[in-house]
Order: sequence, then structure tokens, then C-alpha cells
Amino acid sequence: MSRPRDVLDALHATIVGQDDVVEALVLTLIAGGHVLLEGAPGVAKTLACRALAAAAGGVFRRVQFTPDLLPSDIVGTRIFDQKTGEFATVLGPLFANVVLADEINRAPAKVQSALLEGMQERRVTIGPQTHDLPAPFVVLATMNPFDTEGTYALPLAQLDRFLAKVVVAYPSRDEERAIVDRFGAGEPPLRANVATLDDVLRWQREAHDVFVDAKIRDYAVDLTRATRTADLVAHGASPRAALALVALARARAYLEGRTFAVPDDVRDVAPAVLRHRISYDDRIAIGGGDPEDVVRRIIASVPAP
Amino acid sequence: MSFGRAAVGLAAAALLTATAGAASLRTLHVDALSMRADRVHVAVGEVFHLAIHVRVRENVAALDELVVPDVGTMKLEGDERNVTSSPAGTDVVETLTLEPTVAGAFTFKGAYLDAIDARTRKPSRFSANPVRIVVDAPAPVSVAGVDAAWRLVLLAGLVAGGLALIGGGLVLVVALRRRAQPVVPVVAPVPPAPAPPPRTPRTDVEDALRAYRTAPGQAALTRLRGALFVAAGTNAGATLRDALAATSDGALRAALIAAERTAFGPAHERDAASAELVAATESWLSAALAGSSR
Repeated sequence: MSRPRDVLDALHATIVGQDDVVEALVLTLIAGGHVLLEGAPGVAKTLACRALAAAAGGVFRRVQFTPDLLPSDIVGTRIFDQKTGEFATVLGPLFANVVLADEINRAPAKVQSALLEGMQERRVTIGPQTHDLPAPFVVLATMNPFDTEGTYALPLAQLDRFLAKVVVAYPSRDEERAIVDRFGAGEPPLRANVATLDDVLRWQREAHDVFVDAKIRDYAVDLTRATRTADLVAHGASPRAALALVALARARAYLEGRTFAVPDDVRDVAPAVLRHRISYDDRIAIGGGDPEDVVRRIIASVPAP
Repeated sequence: MSFGRAAVGLAAAALLTATAGAASLRTLHVDALSMRADRVHVAVGEVFHLAIHVRVRENVAALDELVVPDVGTMKLEGDERNVTSSPAGTDVVETLTLEPTVAGAFTFKGAYLDAIDARTRKPSRFSANPVRIVVDAPAPVSVAGVDAAWRLVLLAGLVAGGLALIGGGLVLVVALRRRAQPVVPVVAPVPPAPAPPPRTPRTDVEDALRAYRTAPGQAALTRLRGALFVAAGTNAGATLRDALAATSDGALRAALIAAERTAFGPAHERDAASAELVAATESWLSAALAGSSR
């Protein structure tokens, strides 16, 4: 029986640095949610997702989102079988345990909507039939904040479906040097099947049993509510953010081997939970402000219990 | 010093103060100005002390503005002024040693000082409370060659003369001061606040632990955990990681971790966590005490 730490170690063996990203991926896997990774090209977003998929085992599918993608390209379709004279269902790449939706904002809203519906409901309907998606089911979506031409921005309601949004920053100089050493002679093999799907499902069950005191739940709610009255915020986070804070706090406590969550758990996951659930004021764009500063200020404004 | 010289000296001091005018007044934060006698019932010829206490928030070397009351017919045996300065303020205690020369009730007007009140930025006169002394006649003594009637006449003459001098002196002082200074509000004296015992994070933890042991409820736990956080160097609203980052004291870190477990752990683990918290906190207090005594 493997532990979440084993997956974490496997990711660290592949990815240089990016500790926050690696931890966020494992936490989201434990919490049973989906992650959105935003970062410049070449900062190992896709590699991190592939490493997680390899370590966690199960079926992995990658979908490159493009403007000409159709909903049926990801959920599946029905084709007419001339031999049997009946329609047969062909399941799309969404039927996997780990789905990498690369550059999710390059597909039109109709495709995004089909993906996000599957993420939320964990089932899809193809023709007259509804199909359950496999368990565990994790969507790891990436997007690039720079090349916005020809992209379709994800609406707030759809971003809300992602449990966490992780900003993948450029590595430090030392990390970049280590990347050159590690990947200079080609990509090293990923550490595969460190855990099994049963392990992942067990972690999810056990993490769900982590005790969260009422004061911690109050803290999560206060943080969420603080986003609605903060300066430079047009629309604050929905109650789903409070649920996400508690779910990820549980996962973090579980990852650290605790049976209860502490305020640090909530505070640590708060940026990843809140940043994509807030609609920022136009003054941010006009004045060139940093949305991350807004999130930091909101978190700092709420005293921990 | 005789009464006459004392009265003239005080009047001159008052005159000098008055002519200095409001323009030369210092700005002071007067927290207390009080006056008391160590005895309120004395006999003629017995010495007593009249003490005047002033406390200002400023750190000053002297308080020359302080005007002591007219001592009338009393004989001034001594005048001692002690000034204690610290960053928190200055305490001035002036002690007059007096010997009554005539019997009767005597009321000392309150000592006062003129300054710009730091609170209102206006020139003000701060006055102490008046003090009343009852002076008994001296025990009868046999004076050879002087008959009783003559002694009574002599005593009456002394009393009348003394009263006349007091009245004259007071009239002179009041007239001079009224002419020289505008009327300023009199601020009631504030009794000196007793200095609170010095509090330290350690004493706060001690008190909080005592309260927690007496009634280990949620409020007491919150107080104890908060005191430990402050002892580590963090404030309310910080998290355990902040507190652990702020201190390298192993015993305190153990107490902080135990407090976190007690505060947020599941109910079935709380008794054990609570016992661990008490033990870890006691351990830190003992270590801190040993460290401070070395």
C-alpha cells in the first residue's frame, strides 16, 4: 500500500523545483478535484501532469484543445455500424482516470462546456445513454496567459469547477541549471505506477474522514466572504470556494499524516482556491495591478483562528 | 526659617512666576498633583510634614513651576524636593517640614503649577487639594514671673498679629497674580494611579495556564494558546507555522504544537492533547524560569 508521499516523491524525481505545483497536484488528487495550471510555455506544466498520471497509474489521456475541436471529440460519439445495422457508442478521451486538457482556453465555449459538465457531474451523455466516468477521475487543464489571440476565456462559472488553480512560475536560476543537467540528454523516464487506482480511492476516502473543527470551517467561510468585500474585486468567490478550502485543507492534513486540519492548511491552500474564483475590478487591468496581490491581501486580512 | 521670611519668599516666587507670563509656560502632561499631611492633628511646637506630589508624563529634570502653599504662621523647618525621572515620566515629591506656632484650625491651599496643558494645548493651572490641620494649644507650663492674664494677652496678640500677616500676604499674592495672568481653568487633581506590576509573556502564559487548569474550557484554551503565540513572538491571527518560525525554543515549540492539537484535534484525542499541552507548557515555564535565574 503506497502513500501520497510516494507520489509526491515521484513527481519531485521528475520535476525540478515547483514544489507548490507538485504539492497542489497531489492535494487535488487526494481531494478528488480538478486542477487548472497557468504558466508560460516550457515551465513543465504538461510534464507535471504526465508525471502525476504515470505515478498514480490508471488510464491517461491527453487532449490538445484547438479552435476546431468539437464536443464529440472529447466525450465520444455514436456511429452507425453497417454490419449490425445499429448505432454504436465510441467513448471519447474523457473516459480516463487522468485527463490532460492542454491549452483548454483554445477550444470554443461549446467544447469547454462539455468538458466542464463531465468534470462536475462525473458522467456524460452520448445520444440516449448516460455513461459514468471512471473513478478516480481527474482533469488537469493547462493554459498559457500570454498568447491570448485566438483563445476563448473561460467564464467565472466554469473556472469555479476547478478545485484549484496553480500558477506555474519560472524556475529559479539554480533550478534552471538543474533542468539543463537533468533534461539535457533527453527526457528521463517517468516513475510509473508508484500507486494504484485503489490506493488513490483509499486516500480520497481517508482524507474525507479528516476532522475539521468548527473554527477551521468558520475560517474557510470568512476567507470566502472576505473576497466579496475586498478592494479591487468586482465579484467575490462563491460558496463553492469555502467547500474547496475545506476539502483541500483535509487533503493537506492527510498528506502530512494528521487526522485533523489546522489553520495553516486552509491558509496554505487559499491562494490556489480563491485566485480563479474572483472577478477582478477593471482598475487592475488599467493600473497594471497584480491579482495575486489582491488575493494575498484578502488572506492577510482574515485572522486565523 | 521664620514665618515672615517664608511668606516673603513664597510671594516673591509667585511674583516671578506670574511675570514670566503664559508665553514662557511649558507644555506638560500633568497626570497627578496632590498634597497631604502626615498628621492632621498636631500640637503647637510639634513637627509634621506636608508632602506635595506631582506626576507628569514628560521626562524633565525639574519642575520649577510648582508653587507650594503659603505656610502662614507655621515655622518652616525644612523643604526637600525629590525628582525621579524615567522615560515614562517624572515624579516630583516636595516635603515641607513644619512646626505650628499657634493653636487653631489651619487650611493649606492646594499647591499649584501653571503650564500649557498637553491635552488641550491651553494655558492651565493645575491645583492640588487643600489640606486642613488642627493645631492644639501646648500643654500648660508654669512660667515663673509671668501671670496668667498677661500670658493670655500675649497669646491673643500673637494670634491677631499672625492672622493679620497671613491675610496681608495672601491679599498681596492674589492681587499680583490676578493682574499678571489670565484666568485659566483649574484642573482637578488626578490621584496617582498605582503602577501595575510588570507583565511579561511568561507571566501571561502562567496566568493563562492557571486558568486553563482550573476550567479547561474553550475560552481558557484560546487564552492559553494566544499567550503561547505571543510568547513565541507572534500576534493574534497568526498560524502555528508563523509561531514556529518566530521561535527556536524547543520547549515552547512543543507547547505550541500541543496547543494546536488541543484546539483543533478531534474530540476523542482532546484529553490526551490537553494533558500534553499542560505538561509542555509547564516544561517551558520551568525552562524559562531556570534560564532567567541563570
